[in-house]
Amino acid sequence: MQKKEFLMHLIGEMGNFILDENPSRMVISLHQEEDGIHLCIIDNNQRTEEEIEDIKKALNCQRRPEMAGYYGAMAGHDLVGHARLNLIGWQVKHGDVSSTDNGTKIDLWLGSDQFDHGKFNIPSK
Amino acid sequence: MTEKKLYLLMIVLILMLVFTAFLSEGYHSVLTGFVKIQSHPARLINDYTIIGSEGGALLNCSIVGLIGLFLVYINNVRLSGPTIAAVFTMMGFGLFGKTPLNIIPIIFGVFLLAKLVRKKFSEYIIIALFGTALGPMINYVILESGLKGNMAIFIGVTSGVVAGLLLPPIAIAMLNFHQGYNLYNLGLSCGFFAIFAAAVFSSAGFDLTIKVIWNKNPSTLLVFLVPTISILFLIAGVLLDYKKFFLDFSRILKLSGRLPSDFMEMVSASGALINIGLLGLICSLYVYLVGADFNGPVIGGIFTVMGFGAFGKHVKNSIPVIAGVALSCMVFGKALSAPGAILAALFGTTLAPIAGEFGFLAGISAGFIHSILVDRTAAWHGGMDLYNNGFAGGLTATLIIAVIDWYVGNKDEMIFFRKQKKHVNKE
Repeated sequence: MQKKEFLMHLIGEMGNFILDENPSRMVISLHQEEDGIHLCIIDNNQRTEEEIEDIKKALNCQRRPEMAGYYGAMAGHDLVGHARLNLIGWQVKHGDVSSTDNGTKIDLWLGSDQFDHGKFNIPSK
Repeated sequence: MTEKKLYLLMIVLILMLVFTAFLSEGYHSVLTGFVKIQSHPARLINDYTIIGSEGGALLNCSIVGLIGLFLVYINNVRLSGPTIAAVFTMMGFGLFGKTPLNIIPIIFGVFLLAKLVRKKFSEYIIIALFGTALGPMINYVILESGLKGNMAIFIGVTSGVVAGLLLPPIAIAMLNFHQGYNLYNLGLSCGFFAIFAAAVFSSAGFDLTIKVIWNKNPSTLLVFLVPTISILFLIAGVLLDYKKFFLDFSRILKLSGRLPSDFMEMVSASGALINIGLLGLICSLYVYLVGADFNGPVIGGIFTVMGFGAFGKHVKNSIPVIAGVALSCMVFGKALSAPGAILAALFGTTLAPIAGEFGFLAGISAGFIHSILVDRTAAWHGGMDLYNNGFAGGLTATLIIAVIDWYVGNKDEMIFFRKQKKHVNKE
């Protein structure tokens, strides 16, 4: 899949997920880093610890090449029904989820197999 | 650890089928039947339990399943929901259409495409395994088209490889039509491809008339085969986690089943095995109650339902679709035990996610529409797409989802206009 198309799918599915909760603010920022791409999504919807754990679990699921290569293409396309973060989890290297003062921040890291997400330049706070 | 146990379970199942075949018929009959199946046309509906013999068909089914399982293993792909569904489906169709010889060119085509685009074969393995639904196209060119000798073999094998080369992009595009509400997406994809293939063959003057070879007198062995396997899976599910199996099974019932729902990952292997076993028993009971024949295609249908018991189907989302198909048959005066009707009821559960997501009535409607459509679709592709119900199911799901999508997209505006109207009237 082309990089642009791939990113549009990820942003579409993440947008679908965030908008399911009907927030009044959503910020999506995309950064090209030295060894990959960093996608950051912030909203103003407060989530419980359990909800944050569920998001983390979905975004950091086990690597499933057979699912990513085929069903992963559904990410961002199929907007009838609930958003499915596992479609994204199969395709990204790592996902961080944290609570902010008035909402949630989700960081997705797309890099090579050697990349270190700790080196990205977006501050955690 | 769980994966090793799943491999063990699948190997036990395959060996059980092989031993059953040889014990029931003896070596000579089984091997003769198996060889006969390899050189027989495979388009819908060719029941291998009557073409070869019941033992020969079981051996063919086991070898086809073993090829699938071996490919999953050597490519380091997890044996889980989608791969178990694929192996079960391959085994099921090993009783009426797939043979070791007609599946290999297609798998090789998908492998070739993966290499061409510098991807690992594991990324396309699910497409390769399910894509073997086009196997009958190879048999058709070699055995039915009228072409002779090496030329027929060359064109037949090449057509299979070309199908494999084209399937991944088609399959990925088709997912977006029905948005994951048709579980047999490769059925839709292969059907789409086969329509073009059938048009080419028809233009060349080849005959694509469909014939039905259907075993009307299956032995007691075939009648008890699926219930026995179902009980094996129920026992395996309980043994895998005897403390949580029921709770996990209950959690599966709450899922919509929309693609890709790997019950083994989303819930647990134990719960999924229980679900597989129960689906096998329920389908067998349905076949028994309507008085249908436990032959190759019907057992193949139940095997497919069972496989998808780990990947999208469960008791709660499948029953409404079966009820919809049964209702349609009653309304249009078709016998529930007729070949088309029984296969539509079993394979129609490809639409189970519609019931899972939108409710019982939506499921019944999906089954009803599917049953009407599936009668026509086999002729479109000349029976070369073995997943004819997946093809019809894909079209049905696309229709239903398009309407729901439009309704959801316009619901707010519709309410808005209603409010605006009221507001104007008040003024």
